[in-house]
Amino acid sequence: MAIIPDRDQEFLRKHFEESLTSDVDIVMFTERASPIIIPGKQTCETCEQTEALLKEVADLSDNINLKVLDISTSAEEAAAHGIDRVPAFVLKGAARGQVRFFGIPAGYEFSGFIADIVDTAAGTTDLSDETRSFLASLTQEVNIKVFTTPT
Amino acid sequence: MAHQLAVESSHVTADVIEAQEFPDLARRYAVRGVPKIVINDSVEFVGALPETEYVAYVRSAVEQNNGSNAEQ
Repeated sequence: MAIIPDRDQEFLRKHFEESLTSDVDIVMFTERASPIIIPGKQTCETCEQTEALLKEVADLSDNINLKVLDISTSAEEAAAHGIDRVPAFVLKGAARGQVRFFGIPAGYEFSGFIADIVDTAAGTTDLSDETRSFLASLTQEVNIKVFTTPT
Repeated sequence: MAHQLAVESSHVTADVIEAQEFPDLARRYAVRGVPKIVINDSVEFVGALPETEYVAYVRSAVEQNNGSNAEQ
């Protein structure tokens, strides 16, 4: 059964059709379930669900490309994106900085995720000129962590 | 908002973290309410803020960093 209800899928398909003019890549890092049980090793409880959700979103537009990598076999690429835990993904397109998600973008976070896809494709946002001039003055790296919960 | 800043600036890395899935990070950053925003591991606030106030926090984190660099 689909995670995104049919009605929402229809709405999103249309939304992407109207607002996506260029491509976005979602690069997801996951951990495939191992047939071997290693004592003490934590299993990734939401990896499968996150991958399924991202796949449903990617299926809604030809402009959204999903690439799924296993963190253990793609460690170098994960490190290059600053990803050290799963599930996690990066949105790549025309964004100048790094747009990353750690954990499933469900519940309240889902609409933010959809907006981020559109912004990342466009490389622009509706931020004010004042904010933009502040960003243009930056000479050092800034990291912003936003902790959320689905409910 | 954090992701919008990252879309606009190559100097910004923005992470949205699902706190329940990563309890170790939630503990490390003392997350008790959401959204909790932590900038450069030094400046933090809880709750949704209008853009001007949000950016003021980012600015203060940058200034704090500049200050500590100048002292070194």
